[in-house]
Formats: sequence, structure tokens, C-alpha cells
Amino acid sequence: MPKVFFATDLHGSEMCWRKFLNAGRFYDAEILICGGDMTGKAIVPIVQENSHYTVSLGADRQQVEAAQVPDVEAQIRRKGYYPLQMSLERLHELDADPVKRAECFQQVMLDGVDRWMGMAAEKLRGTGIRIFVCPGNDDEMEVDDVIRRSDLVELGEGRLVEIGDFTMISTGWSNHTPWNTHREETEEALGERIEAMAKQVPDASKAIFNLHCPPFKSGLDEAPAIDADLKLMHGGRALRPVGSTAVREAIERHQPLISLHGHIHESKGAVKIGKTLSINPGSSYEEGMLMGAIVQLDPKKGIKSYQLVNG
Amino acid sequence: MADTTMGAPGTAARPGLFLRNATGLVKSWSTFDAFVYSFWSINLITLGLYGMSYVYTVPDGQLLAGILLFGVLVTFLVITYAMLVSVMPRTGGDYAWQSRVLGGGLGFVLSITGWWFTLFLWAPIYANILVVQFFSPLAYTLGWSGVAKFFTGQTGIFVSCLIVLAFASIVVTLGMETYARIQKACFWIGLVGLAVVCVLLLVYSQTDFQNAFNREATNLFGAPAGAYQATIDAASKTFAGSSFGTFSFGPVLLLLPWLAFYLLWPNWGATLYGEVRGAKDIRKPFWSMFAGLWVTVAMVAVVVLLINKTIGWNFYQSANAAYWNSLFAVKDAVAPPVPIWPYPVMFAGFLVDNHIFQALLIIVMGLWFFGWAGTLFLSSTRVIFAAAFDRVLPSWAANISAKRRVPYGALILMIVPSIVISAIYAYKPDFTSVFLDATAVLALTFLATTVAAIILPWRRKDLYDASPIANYKIVGVPMISIVGVISGLFLLFMLYQWSFNPDNLYGTSLQSTPNSVKYFVATYVAAIVIYVVARVVRKRQGIDLARIHHEIPVE
Repeated sequence: MPKVFFATDLHGSEMCWRKFLNAGRFYDAEILICGGDMTGKAIVPIVQENSHYTVSLGADRQQVEAAQVPDVEAQIRRKGYYPLQMSLERLHELDADPVKRAECFQQVMLDGVDRWMGMAAEKLRGTGIRIFVCPGNDDEMEVDDVIRRSDLVELGEGRLVEIGDFTMISTGWSNHTPWNTHREETEEALGERIEAMAKQVPDASKAIFNLHCPPFKSGLDEAPAIDADLKLMHGGRALRPVGSTAVREAIERHQPLISLHGHIHESKGAVKIGKTLSINPGSSYEEGMLMGAIVQLDPKKGIKSYQLVNG
Repeated sequence: MADTTMGAPGTAARPGLFLRNATGLVKSWSTFDAFVYSFWSINLITLGLYGMSYVYTVPDGQLLAGILLFGVLVTFLVITYAMLVSVMPRTGGDYAWQSRVLGGGLGFVLSITGWWFTLFLWAPIYANILVVQFFSPLAYTLGWSGVAKFFTGQTGIFVSCLIVLAFASIVVTLGMETYARIQKACFWIGLVGLAVVCVLLLVYSQTDFQNAFNREATNLFGAPAGAYQATIDAASKTFAGSSFGTFSFGPVLLLLPWLAFYLLWPNWGATLYGEVRGAKDIRKPFWSMFAGLWVTVAMVAVVVLLINKTIGWNFYQSANAAYWNSLFAVKDAVAPPVPIWPYPVMFAGFLVDNHIFQALLIIVMGLWFFGWAGTLFLSSTRVIFAAAFDRVLPSWAANISAKRRVPYGALILMIVPSIVISAIYAYKPDFTSVFLDATAVLALTFLATTVAAIILPWRRKDLYDASPIANYKIVGVPMISIVGVISGLFLLFMLYQWSFNPDNLYGTSLQSTPNSVKYFVATYVAAIVIYVVARVVRKRQGIDLARIHHEIPVE
């Protein structure tokens, strides 16, 4: 009876990744699934000037000594940002040149994922715990190659994998968002992508659909209402459904045992869509809290129990 | 890949952060929009005038001083909540903060009691406000005295409860985005109405008002001539009179629990959505709540001064005393010649001798109710969903219908008990004190959150140290703990007065209100029972509720 721990949208938070790697032992789970959007959204420059460093954290700009830099870097990583030491000249160069900035971003993200793969190998080798990662729409395509090189972490994207008596299909692609991220496509294309995997599933009643984007109007896809300028509307209190109709149709058509989602951090929940239990554990990566779902699978009952946790 | 750079404040030439384009990364909300939400929560007209109609019970309490003092003290609560938002910005308000800092069981019991069980009581309170500020004055003004009398009777109150419940349910179904648009329209039209009320009270004299009141008391209510003086005379049987200029500090303090009825809620719905760069910055949530509070304080000060000038303070308080003392069957109380709640908006309308204008003014000012009352179930729904996702409540409690996205599970859990409570409110006057306690129970929930704030820097050191408020200290003590202690003492003072005031000033003293004590003890016991049963049942299902908030080791 495999016990699965699912978490998603860590967005570069090293504290959450470390917790994720420890979740197997903590919750007695044999399977760890990371649902996507592993990489961070921001670089925080730590600028070397004369004998000190300057860094902006939140609203404050701070001066720190060299000895304090490791602590500052840890604090930045905890929030899911990438700390990067640089000279003042390099800072202005990145500020002025979007291409160089994009290259810099890609490098720190891939380095970050590579380091995470190393941590996974160190932590989980020999434990018998399987770990799956499926990059999400915010993760650049090159992230997949870094994961493929890992000898311990299994890449989930675009394939069917067996988990005991159960099977799992995964994709981190989503419908279009206002941010034009790396793995977005039309609902039609997303539907075809899911269908290509779903038709390989031998038994939907023992299938896990690990689809980063939540189903439309499921209650798992309520995102803050924003205007065309990406500005929060109505004081940041109004929500609207932004999930995928293709994901919803796939769930309604195939009725897998369970579907696992992320993408919309605010929309934590567990709902039934027909026979399918659909879960979005939410994300509070910037607080260093790992929101996740524990699912106890049972070959006869399907799902013996499930629980959303804030680890 | 589109991306952007952002500078730290005051260092525009030097970026403090490089952001890439990533899902959910949004620009900050307008402080004005957030202000509107906060402003509605401490609704000057709907809640404010209703709550302040009880301050006649403290005749020596100088109301302006009381309002200003309350504003200062609630500012500490606003700072406390803004700091909590800053540390845990998108985690669901009181339930999440209490659960994470104080523990899951305690968090559940306190929040479920405050934001679920107590909200049953607010439905009839809202309904009564709807009657006294809308149905009743409007019907009398239009000459429909039969309709007016129906709504002031037991069945009328119950029907009003059903209307409120239906309205709140529709808003939950429509969602906050649609309702926010309705709120905006109500906000601007309501402000115009308030401006008209203020201008009327400003340009007319007290003699004009006395004449207008006497005229309309006869025209609309069939009262004999001289109703203005007759109202004061009726009140004098149980009320010694009140002077606006009297000041004494002790009575000002005794006003605070009454003022809490409307001024305690600028932090209502402190939850925020959306990942804004700098959302952990304390200033945005602080300024929205602070502005909502102090704009209301300023406006209520103007309204109170105008009431004193044109309506007359002693008359206004006498009218309140005569109405409530007669309704509560206080010994020797005499019914006033105008038998409905003294609504200053209706009084201002009397200054224009035109019933269509008067009715229009009441309708326009009624938007203060309809722009506000729709949020009745929003917090409750959120707490019920959170408890269902935590598996403390059955999963159906968080179900929503596929087509119209109606959260029918949560609505059933709110509406069915609310109908029962509404019937008790309408048909069992013995239970009045239970409803007067509705403010106190929410204050207790706030107190638990302030305790969570006070101990946060030690109890959740990891969260606190990583937050932008970690550097806010006064003589080495975390500022969140200091403002939390001040807020806590303020709340404790009011809770003491509500519970133990020797004169039962607020109608809620424990020794005088056994029904109320039984009700609230029952709600806390019920919350504990639900939690304990859930733990046992879930344990059998292989689910350990204790681990919901257990932190996974990092190393």
C-alpha cells in the first residue's frame, strides 16, 4: 500500500526542498512527488563594495560584513529567491541588458536545480523512497535535462510511470497565463498532450493524473483577479477561476483515481470531480512552509485516506 | 522571457531585485480599494449609528472623546494585524495564525466559535438593522404603516432575517469580485447620501428640526402635537438626560464596549491574495486598515457634532433611551410618541417637507447596508473550508457545485443554524443577551490572535526572523509583541466590562444573563467536541490530525 507525499510550487525555496526530501521519513511515505514550478522567481544581488556588501531584503537595504553573507544568502534562499554575489559593475550590466539578465537567470536556476538533485541523492539514496519531479510552466525546458542527469530523481513529464499497482501520468504544461511562461499552450493542445498519455493508462481506477494546472471551476483554481496591467483588483480580495478546461475534460472523461495539481498557490483544497479526488495542496514557499498532501493508496479501496498538511 | 528589475526604496538607480516573468507575480493592489473594504467593515451608518444608539446608557460619557480614544486603541490592533499579514501574508487570517502559533486544536476551537457559531447571531442583528434603518422608516415615510408595523413585529423580524440570509448567500455564490463592484457603487452613492444628510443638518437650526420633527411625527406616525418635547418627557421616566459637553474620563472608558460594535473591525478580512513583490511590506495592509479606521472616526465625529447642533444631544439620547427602554420593558419606561428607532438619517430627511425626498434619502442611505451586509458569510465560509481541508469537518463541507460554483456544504452549515437562531431571536425575547454578546465573542477571537502575535517572535522564531518586521524593535523587544500587549489589554478591558460590569451596563454581565452564558459555553463545548470526535474518527481512518501543523525538519 504505497503512501504518497505530494507537494508543488516550491519556487526555489531551498527550505521547502529540504523539507520535501525529509517528508518521506516524516510521514512514512514511500513515494515523493514534486508537482512543478521548482525554480525561483527572483535574483537578489549581493553587491560587493569596498569592504562590505549591500543587499535589499523586503523594503530595507542593508549593509553587511563578509562574515554575514552566508546567513543573508540562506535567508534569501529560504524565500525562494536566488542570492547572487556580484560587483557593482555587473549589477549595472545586468540591469541594462535583458539578454544578459535572462542568461544569468537561466544559469542560477539550473545551478539551483542541479544542487537540489545532489541534495536528493545524498538524502534519499538507499532509503527505498522514490522521488518524482515534473517541472511546471514556470520552469525552463533545460530544467528537464538537469533532472534527467540525476540518477535518483525520476522525471515525470510526458510519460507513464508505474507506482506499485498504480500508474501515474504527468505534465507541467498549463493553459495560457498573463505571464507568458515557458510551458503554456492552448486548451486544445493541452488536451491532446494529456490524452496522448491518458490513453496509455491501463486502469483509470488505479491512475494518478499529476497535472500541474488545476481543472477549471473546481475550486482548486481560484486566483486573485488582476487587470490587464497585472495589478490586483478589488484590494487583492477578489478571486476568479483560471484553471484549464482541458484538464477538467480529461478528468471527467477518464475519471482517474486521483488528480494532483498546483499552479494556483491560494487555492488549497480537495474536491471530488465525479469519482476522482482532485487535490491542490497550495503553496506558501516564501514562508518556508511546505504545504503538501499525504495520500494512502490501497490496491482494493483505491484511496484509503488523504490529508493536507502544512509541514 | 520578459523580466524586470526593481529597486529598493530610495535607490532607484540601483536595482535591489531582478524578477523574471513568473506565474502569479502581480502588481500591488490599490490602497484605495483595500481602504474601501476596511471602511465598509466599520460601517459608520449601518453599524455605527445602531451601536451608538446605546450610548445613552452612559450619560456622562463624552462620545467624541470615546470615539477618539477608541480610534487610538484600535490603531494598535491594526498594527498587530498588519504585522501578522506581513509575516504570514496569504494564509487565511485568524484561523491560520492561531493554528500555526497556538496549535491546531486551540486555533480550531477559537476560530470556529468566533467565525462560524457566532456569525449565526449576526444574521438576526443584521436583520434588525435592516428593519430599523430601511424597512420600517421607509414604510412609514411612504404611508405604509401596516408594512412598517409588520416588520417591527416578530414575524417581520424573522422575514427580515430570511432576506438577510438570502442576500448573504447570493453574495457568496456571486463571489467577491462581483460584490466588490456592487460595494464600489454603494460606496459612492452612499457617500453622496451622507453628504446630503450632513448639509441638511448643517444648514438648518435646532428650531427648524423641532418644528420638522413635530410635523412629521403627526403626519407619519399620528403623534399628538409637541412630539419633540414629549419624547424627552417619555425618556425622563427612566433617563436622567445627557449633555454633550460633559466630560469625565471614567464614563468615557465605559463607552468603549459600545463603540466596539462598529469600530473594532477595521482588520476584518485581513487575508490577502496574490504574490506581490513587497507584499510582506507592512505598509500597504497597515495604511488600508488605518485609513478605513480614521476616515470613519473623522466622519463619525462630524456626524455626532451635527446631531448635537441640529437634532440636539439631549433629545437624541432621550429618543434612544425612550425607544430601547420601552422595547426592553425597563421598569417605568414609557413608549415614545414616534414608536420607531431614532434614525438620524430619517430625522435629517424631516427637514425637507417632502415625503418622496425623505423616502429617497432612506433608500440611498440603505446602500450603506447593502454594500456591507453581503460579507456576512464570507469569513465563515473561508473558515469552514479550511477546517474541511484539514479533515476536521467532513469533506462535503467544502464542496462546491460544478455549474454555478455554489459552496452548498458551507452554506448549509451557515444557513440552517442561522434560521434556527433567527427564529429564537424573533420569537424568544429572553435570549436578547445572547445577541448582545456577539461582539464580545469576536473580541475574544481577536484576543487569541493578539496572543499569537505577542508570542510569535519566540514561538515561531523561524517565521519571525525571516520577516520584514524582525527589525522592528523597541528597546530590544519585538514591536509586534508590544503592540499585541496593548491591543490585548484593550480587548481584555472590554471583555471584563461585558462579562462583569456590576450594573450590567451592556446587558451581557455573566451573573445577569444565564441564557447567554449557557449558549456560549455550549458553543465552545461543541467546538471542542467536534475537534475531539474528528481526531478519534480520523485516527481510525489512519489520519493523524495532530500532524497538520507539525513542521517537517529541515536538516
